[in-house]
Amino acid sequence: MTTFTTLSRISKRLSSVLAPFAIATCVLAQGLDPASLLRPSPDSWPTYHGDYSGRRHSALTQITPDNVKQLGLAWAFQTGRADQIKASPIVVDGVLYITTPDRIWAIDARSGRQIWQYAYPENKGFHIGHRGAAVYHDLVYLTTPDAHLVALNARDGKLKWNVEIADSKKGYWSTNAPLLVRNHLLVGVSGDFDNLPGLLTSFDPDTGAVQWKFYTTGEPGKTKPGDAMGGQMWMTGTYDPDLNLFYVGTGNPTPVLNGNARPGNNLYTVSIIALNPDTGKLAWAFQATPHDTHDWDAAEVPVLVDGTFRGAPAKMLMQASRNGYFFVLDRTNGKNLLSKPFGPVNWSKGLDDKGQPIPNPDKEPHRDGRLVAPNEGGLTNYRSPSVDPDAGLFIVSAADSYGIYFFKPEYGDYGWAGADYGVYGKAFLKAIDYQSGEIRWMHDLSGSSAGAGVLTTATGVLFTGDAAGNAIALRTKDGSTLWHASIGNVGTPPVTYMLDGRQYVVIGGGGGLFAFALP
Amino acid sequence: MRAVVSAVVLWAGAVLAASTPVPVSQQAPLAPAGGQAIFVAQCAFCHGRDATGGAGGPDLTDSALVSKDVNGDLIGAVVRGGRPEKGMPPFALSDADLKAVVAYIHDRKKAADDSPGRRRKVSAEDISTGNADAGKRYFEGAGGCTKCHSATKDLLGIASKYRGLALMQRMLYPTPQNAVAPGEGERPRPSPVKVTVTPASGQTITGTLAHQDEFTIALRDASGWYHSWPTANVKYTVEDPAKAHADQLPKYTDDDIHNLVAYLQTLK
Repeated sequence: MTTFTTLSRISKRLSSVLAPFAIATCVLAQGLDPASLLRPSPDSWPTYHGDYSGRRHSALTQITPDNVKQLGLAWAFQTGRADQIKASPIVVDGVLYITTPDRIWAIDARSGRQIWQYAYPENKGFHIGHRGAAVYHDLVYLTTPDAHLVALNARDGKLKWNVEIADSKKGYWSTNAPLLVRNHLLVGVSGDFDNLPGLLTSFDPDTGAVQWKFYTTGEPGKTKPGDAMGGQMWMTGTYDPDLNLFYVGTGNPTPVLNGNARPGNNLYTVSIIALNPDTGKLAWAFQATPHDTHDWDAAEVPVLVDGTFRGAPAKMLMQASRNGYFFVLDRTNGKNLLSKPFGPVNWSKGLDDKGQPIPNPDKEPHRDGRLVAPNEGGLTNYRSPSVDPDAGLFIVSAADSYGIYFFKPEYGDYGWAGADYGVYGKAFLKAIDYQSGEIRWMHDLSGSSAGAGVLTTATGVLFTGDAAGNAIALRTKDGSTLWHASIGNVGTPPVTYMLDGRQYVVIGGGGGLFAFALP
Repeated sequence: MRAVVSAVVLWAGAVLAASTPVPVSQQAPLAPAGGQAIFVAQCAFCHGRDATGGAGGPDLTDSALVSKDVNGDLIGAVVRGGRPEKGMPPFALSDADLKAVVAYIHDRKKAADDSPGRRRKVSAEDISTGNADAGKRYFEGAGGCTKCHSATKDLLGIASKYRGLALMQRMLYPTPQNAVAPGEGERPRPSPVKVTVTPASGQTITGTLAHQDEFTIALRDASGWYHSWPTANVKYTVEDPAKAHADQLPKYTDDDIHNLVAYLQTLK
């Protein structure tokens, strides 16, 4: 570790010497070339997950288990607004972009100073949260509560164009951080209180023209009564450039808690799906819950990992799903390699021959209430996990939880169509050995449910937030605590980047963004 | 997305419930203003400020009687006669006041019906499917409830304090969120979690838990003052009586739960 530190100090001095010359030659090299997403540079975090794999595993080595306790505040940025920051920062060319509903700020990634901010006009869309921006050449994209996609000039935040993704009057909204795949900008929406078809749209990133649409439950007009609706793809997917497949998780079916109104498996809701990003055609699907009646979307990040699975080379896809199961799939074809609960799960009767859980009808919502584990929030949710392939661990912010679920015919068959209440939750960071599904270690996160994602780095340090407002750093291999800072309600996945020879770790706390670095 | 949605909806509900009645001048023209004032003053304690249910009273926006009512022909009799068997007293309202209250209830019902995709409510009748005798056996036997509770001491009258869903939730896991809110002038109930802290130098302090995370332990002492310590510097023990409730969750069958609720409902 000493070697790393010494090297980084040397490189820090070198870069400060070289910096003036570098500026002179790099003036024109601004904006994001889509090809760079295949191999993101260490001075960037250019897309929601940092790269296409969704592993949130950084190759940076300046911060180590030995020196992490010296981390101090490099800068803090306050939005000055009440909204909690729930977005992943995006960092391109020394500029950091952060979002809340209707808002985006461009700030200096070295100092935290605001460069510009953009405020979308007031609207009646659902202002629940926002996951982040996307960048392409000199454009920055923001999805909005009324389900529009706006493109801004990255230089000054001025509006370039604004297109509708879906009709917000029908009940759609968007919190989505779009994913750029070459010349396709893939954008998801949400819509929970209405019976709406799940929709993912590919836009031309230059013009905002629609290239294709994928409907989770079939194209509108081609469905029949009794078909499920829903299956919104509200989280950012991942991409395998070799297979040219885009992976994304789909949400729960609607009506949400009334399964009687939509018999069958309700394809492709609550599924991990693989799409061709050029055509939007489905390559394969794996259903995390056939016929869900508990609002457990499988929207969680499908993480792509290369390596061996039980001795054989494998292109794996892993998901810790809201329904409580950890899945490992062969991402070339969607075949199941492993399905195992990673906490209390009492709704399943086992696995079918595809490795998909079989729901127990006794645990469907009922007039007098059914005690179900996990609760509606799930064993995990939107918070991004991280995979450290060296440690062989999939690390996820989990909540062991119970809820009670109610349904009676009087509730009808539209939207929520039921009632449910959380009973109990306990938050843990869990390190899952992805060869076996066994929990290698658990770290108590001091509360019922934590909101932060996870970042691991090549030196064996991980960053996340607990449920009590602390940013924390743990040793990846055993979950022991190395560092903490109380920064308020942590709702972001941490990101890291290296600028001027200094490694920054940026974490959101409440309405503020905090950058930490070594002295 | 719904995990976060629920929090927002609950929060919005709390804000609505806590807000004072909107002044007449600020209301939408069609809202029956006088009815709201009377409803909030006389009915809201049991039925909630927006008529969607409160402490013991059912959700009127989800009531079969309200849907069949035309201009108070059914509601009027209930208001004036009461429902003594269910604990509702009679209300002597003037014709004009009754008309205004009926209009307000219908207005709230329309508002609820206009957002059909939203969450629904659970009535006390819905969850009363258990067998009280079986619940008593579970209470005294397999449930292990008598290790901490007694039907004739701490739980005597529990069914009068908590009803329906609130009773069920509190039985499964008692939290500040599902406790009955303190009444006017009443101090909030202290946290039942007891903490004992022994600093490296100094004497042991006990109190009720004010905060606990990995790095900080804090308590309120007997005179209400807050104290905190870094967890690394002290020895401390936390006695959480609710832990037994959490430990029971994986052990219940749904029948156990309903039987236990039925038994607790007899402890009036």
